[in-house]
Amino acid sequence: MSQTVYVLGAGAHPWGKWPNKTQLELALHALSGALGEADVSWNDVEAVVAASSRFEGGMGWGLHANEIVQAVAEKGMSCVNVGGACAAGAIAFHTAHAMIASGEHEVVCVVGAERMPKGFIPRPPGSQDDVTDEDYLRWVAMGATNPAYWAIEAHRRMHELGTSEETLARAAVLMRRNAVGNSLARFRTATQIDEVLASAMVADPLHLLQICPVSDGAAALVLGSEAWMKRNGGTGVKVAGCAIATGSFGDPARRIPTIASPVRDGVVHTSEVANAVAGAFAMAGMEPKDIDLLEMADNTAWHILAWPEQFGFFAPGESDVMLERGELDIGGRLPINPSGGFLSFGEATTAQAVLQICEVSWQLRGRAEGHQVPDARVGLTAVLGLGANGGSVLLSR
Amino acid sequence: MLDDVIIPVADGLFEVGAEGVQLIGTHCTACQSVYFPRSLSCRNPDCRAKTVETTLLPREGTLVSYTVQRYRPPPLFRVDDWEPYAIGLVRLDYEQTLEVMGILSGVPLDAIRIGTRVRVVAHPLYDDERNTVMTYAFTANEVSA
Ligand SMILES: [Zn+2]
Repeated sequence: MSQTVYVLGAGAHPWGKWPNKTQLELALHALSGALGEADVSWNDVEAVVAASSRFEGGMGWGLHANEIVQAVAEKGMSCVNVGGACAAGAIAFHTAHAMIASGEHEVVCVVGAERMPKGFIPRPPGSQDDVTDEDYLRWVAMGATNPAYWAIEAHRRMHELGTSEETLARAAVLMRRNAVGNSLARFRTATQIDEVLASAMVADPLHLLQICPVSDGAAALVLGSEAWMKRNGGTGVKVAGCAIATGSFGDPARRIPTIASPVRDGVVHTSEVANAVAGAFAMAGMEPKDIDLLEMADNTAWHILAWPEQFGFFAPGESDVMLERGELDIGGRLPINPSGGFLSFGEATTAQAVLQICEVSWQLRGRAEGHQVPDARVGLTAVLGLGANGGSVLLSR
Repeated sequence: MLDDVIIPVADGLFEVGAEGVQLIGTHCTACQSVYFPRSLSCRNPDCRAKTVETTLLPREGTLVSYTVQRYRPPPLFRVDDWEPYAIGLVRLDYEQTLEVMGILSGVPLDAIRIGTRVRVVAHPLYDDERNTVMTYAFTANEVSA
């Protein structure tokens, strides 16, 4: 038995740096917004699925759902906490979807909330400081920062597909232009190509304004079964596809934090995400031409060009042309990150994938004030997390 | 710096033999895949036997891509005399493709070219009380006359 699941409501705390609020406060703010939009009370909620953060909250054990429930609604409901690093929000959504689709529950909340530490993210405790740990080797043997991985990919693209520095800058300009109209985004001033190229070079060819920083933020969703929604007169956006995946053997991507990989012909780049996207398409019975907007993890400007090609939207190198023609703009053929994306939000790791789904739901409801994609009917999300975690959600109205 | 003692930054990362520096990896005798660093098993889902053994990797390869790190990495990367440096991605000369990241050594930052033939060398990071601690790196092969 499988029942159709709907997004009944979405909510988010604006992204930024919030030194005077706890992670739990950000989570409760987002949940309050989602419950409000859904017109659902805590008494209707049967379970909370939270993306586990390693940075704050969750009693040090990743028990973020339990912490939330103990703060706002002690009523015996189920709590599930899922790991998945930067993809944890998508995995939490997938779990919540399954809990309803299976018929076990009618109304489930999904939440991701994050306050990121200052400066470089430290290595987690409990790791082996030896040759078997690539996250150790990447630091001691070569000092490879995350931007170095993305920069190696960007250089490869420039060499193989002829992408120019200006095109890479234009991708960052697009994200900031979209964010001007989004009150949840952190960086909301427009920028220009020359300003992007004049910003500090971090890892050639990527400049500071082409790399997402870290932020604090929170996002939440209320999911419900079709039957519950109809009984209670709610309105929702249909979850047409939903999938999580890991990587394929032979993936050519420079996957953080590995320092080497066997590469095999014919294996898709960033396969964990491409596999999840393919899963979401298969479940929905749709293909790239059916998608009206894509919310994807743009850790850098390179991602905005590369990912749509890896998911089958464009041929290799074609994203550059689409970007230059304005086809990736709001109002173009495939608007990418009308929200402004990670480049305009900064990454609040576990919250980011939940926010992507919130954004698509608002776009499909016509509620994306200031950055609305005209007549958006079908939207897709795509996110990548450490450990070769990929997640993708396809919503339709 | 001592002439004949090379201290790797991590035990088991590389070794120095008569031929020069070689990375220590893992070879699967069942499907011929190679891995670096050493691997507990074989990740190839089509490989059932997964009979792995330690192996020395080919010393030469081709530069596939690179970057220049303009900001100093966090302190786990210990290096004396820090200045911006390049990290390359190298496809080693092996029948089953293995791409390896490593510092590019002895190549001017404005003269790095994708497609350059490179070889593995030892590269000094820092001096501790007794020795110079080394990592592996890639350097451009001499252009033949
Ligand atoms: Zn094998």
